[in-house]
Amino acid sequence: MTALLDMPPFAARDAGRFLDEMVALTRHHLAGCPEYRRIWPAWNGATSAEELPFVHAGVFKHVLLRTAAVTQRILRSSGTSGAATSRIALDEESSALQSRSSTAILSDFIGSEITPLLVVDHSSALRQRGEISARIAAAMSLRPLASEIVFLLGRASDPASIQWDVVAEVLRRKSHLRVYGFTTMLWQAWRSGMPSSVARQITETRIDFVHSGGWKKLEAEQVTPADFNVALLRDAGDGSRVIDYYGLVEQVGVVYPLCNAGFRHVAAWAEVVVRDPYTLQPIHDGVGMLQLMNVLARGAPYHSVLTEDLGRIAAGPCPCGRDGRRFELLGRVPKAETRGCANV
Amino acid sequence: MSDVVHIFDAPRGRTMLLLPFALDDAISAWTRLQRAMTRSHPDAFTRDEWAYLISFLDEANLRAPFVAAFGESSSGGAVQRIARPRGEIAVWLPNNVSLLGPLTLILLSLTGNRVRVKAGSRADDLATAFVTWASNADAGAAAILERTRIEQFDRSDPRNAAMAAAASIRIAFGSDASASAIEALPHPIHSRGIYFSDRTSEAWLDLHRADDETLRTMAKVFAIYGTAGCTSPRRLVVLDGTIDDALRIRERLAEVWPSVVTRDVPMHHASQNIAAAQVAAATGWEATTTPRNAAAIAAGTPQLPAPPGFLALPVVAATLGEALASLPANIQTLGQAIDRERLNDLLPRLASAGVKRIVPIGSMHHFGALWDGWNYWQETFEEIEVQS
Repeated sequence: MTALLDMPPFAARDAGRFLDEMVALTRHHLAGCPEYRRIWPAWNGATSAEELPFVHAGVFKHVLLRTAAVTQRILRSSGTSGAATSRIALDEESSALQSRSSTAILSDFIGSEITPLLVVDHSSALRQRGEISARIAAAMSLRPLASEIVFLLGRASDPASIQWDVVAEVLRRKSHLRVYGFTTMLWQAWRSGMPSSVARQITETRIDFVHSGGWKKLEAEQVTPADFNVALLRDAGDGSRVIDYYGLVEQVGVVYPLCNAGFRHVAAWAEVVVRDPYTLQPIHDGVGMLQLMNVLARGAPYHSVLTEDLGRIAAGPCPCGRDGRRFELLGRVPKAETRGCANV
Repeated sequence: MSDVVHIFDAPRGRTMLLLPFALDDAISAWTRLQRAMTRSHPDAFTRDEWAYLISFLDEANLRAPFVAAFGESSSGGAVQRIARPRGEIAVWLPNNVSLLGPLTLILLSLTGNRVRVKAGSRADDLATAFVTWASNADAGAAAILERTRIEQFDRSDPRNAAMAAAASIRIAFGSDASASAIEALPHPIHSRGIYFSDRTSEAWLDLHRADDETLRTMAKVFAIYGTAGCTSPRRLVVLDGTIDDALRIRERLAEVWPSVVTRDVPMHHASQNIAAAQVAAATGWEATTTPRNAAAIAAGTPQLPAPPGFLALPVVAATLGEALASLPANIQTLGQAIDRERLNDLLPRLASAGVKRIVPIGSMHHFGALWDGWNYWQETFEEIEVQS
C-alpha cells in the first residue's frame, strides 16, 4: 500500500517518494505484463516523473493489459456508437486504493459528511456480470461518502425517465444529499419535467451536484458551465454547490475536481506531465497532451497514461488555497477529417 | 445540339463516335483549365491533391480512354460500329470520398452523357468543390460541366430513387451496404450498376528493390490517404525477406519519411500514431513512429493483427506463398516493385487471387477508365453494330 495516500491530497508534494513508488510500480508491471514489456522493452529507470513511461489511452481500446493474476472486473468506457471502447482490468487491491483516493479528493471539495447519493442512471448498470461501465464507476467513486445509493432513471441511458417520486421520497427524509450524473445526463434529467412539489422540497435541501464526463454535447447545445451551474442551483437550498470533476476511465479513483479558481489540482499520489504531441518532450509553460500518473494501479499498467486531452500546467500558488500541482484542462486534441474511399 | 461525328481506328475495326460536342474543344477546355489551376488552389484540396488533379488533366491522359476504347483518331472510311452516349449516368459519392470523385466526373464529362451526382451531405466534398471552382474559372469547362448536376442530400432523400430510375448507368463509391441499398432501388431493366465499394490495397517489393527511391515513393503514396484510401497500401510486403529485413526497411522508411512528408500531420493523427505504435508493439510487432510522430511503422509477419490507425503501416516479411495466402478477399490494387520476369510469372496467380490492378507503387492512386475490374467508362456508351 502506498504511504502517499496517508497524506492530505493537496498538501506539499513529496516528489522523491512519488518517483520511487512510480519506478517500483513500473518495474512491477514490466515484470508482470508481457504486452507492457513489449511497449517499453528498454526502459530502465527514471530520475524524474517526466522520464516515466506511459501507455497511450488509445491502447486500452485494443489491448486488455493485465498484471495481476486475478482480475476482479473489467471496466468498460461508454464510447460513442460504433467507436471502440476502452477495457480496463480492475483488481481488488487497486480498487481499495482507488476508493480511498476518490474519498480523500472529493472530501476536500464537498466535505466528508455521509449523505444519500442519488445517481442519474439505472440500477441495471450495476448488475452486468464481470464488467462495470465507466459511468457507474464514476458514480461509485462517491460510494464511501454515501449512506445509501438511489438510482433515479426508470430506463437505462434515458434522462427523461428520471423518477421524481423517488427523488421526493429522499427529499422528505434528508436535508443534505448528493446527486451524481454524467454531465449531459444530469443536465437533461434535472430539466426533465420536475414537478412543482419536488421543486418546493428542493429549496429546503442542500444538494452537492457532482458531475463528470465532459462538455462536448452541451457545447453543441451552447450550454456553458455557468448556465449549467445556474440551472442546477436555481431552486436548490442554501449551501448547495456544483462540482465538475475530470478523470480518466483508465484511472478511476484519481479525479481532478475543478476548483473555484478554474484549475484542476493533482493529488499527492498523482502527477501530471504535459507533452508535445509531435516530439513527446515535456512542456513546462505551454499547451500539450496530458500524461496523468498515480501510484494506485497494481493490476494493470494504467498508472501512467498519455491522454488525448490538452492542458497546461499552472505555476505559483492557486487562489483557491490548495497546495501542490495544478493544471488547466483545455479540451480534446482536435480531430482531423480522414479522407479516403468511404471504406474506413 | 446535333451530334458531332468522330472516327477512330483500332485493329478490331473502325468506330464512329457521336458526341454532343467536338472532342478537341472539350479537351482544350480542360487543358486551359489545367493552366488556370496552376495559379490557384481552393482550400478544400491539399496541395498534393491539387497537383494530382492538374497532372490528371494532361491532354494525353484525357485522350487515353478514347484510344483504349476505340483506337486512334482517324479521318473516315467504312465503320464497323457506332458508339454513342447511353443518356444519363447517376453517380453516388460519399462524404469523405477522395479525389476519385472529381476524377470520375472529369472522365465522365468527356462521354457526352448527362451526369447526375449525389454528393455527400456535407458541403466540403471535393467533387462539389472542384465543379464549382472549374465552372467559375473557365467558360469552356463550365460548358462541359453543364451536363453534370451535383446535389447534396442524404441517403433517405427521395432523389436517390429518382436518380436510379432515370439512369442508364449507376456508379457508386462507398460501403458494400450503401452499394446494396442503391442497387435495391428500382431501376430500368437495361441499366447497369457499377459499384466501387469496400476495397483494400497493398504493396509488394523484391528485397533487392528496397532502395531509398522506392521507399520514398512508398512513403509518399502511403502518406496521402494512410489506410483510409481504397488504393492506399495497407501493408508493405517484403517478398522472401526475413524479420530482420523488414526491420531494416522499417528503419530506413522512418529515416526517409521526413524528406517526403515535410509538414506536420494534424495533432490528432500524431496522437493516433503514438497509440498505434504501442498497440503494434503490444501485439507482437517491432514498432516505431517516424520523426514528429508523422506515421507509425511496424515490422512483423503476416500472421500478426494489423495495427490500428490512419497512418500505421505494417512492413511484413513473407514468402510469396504467405503473401498470396494473406491477400484479403477485397483486394483492389497491388502496388509493386518486383522484377519484370518474376512479376510475369506471378500475374496469373495474382489475377486468380482477385487483384484488380497491378501497378508500380508510385501509380497506386492513379485513377483511370478501367477500375475495380470494370471498364466502366466504355460502358457509358451504347455500341451499334454496322455491317455493309
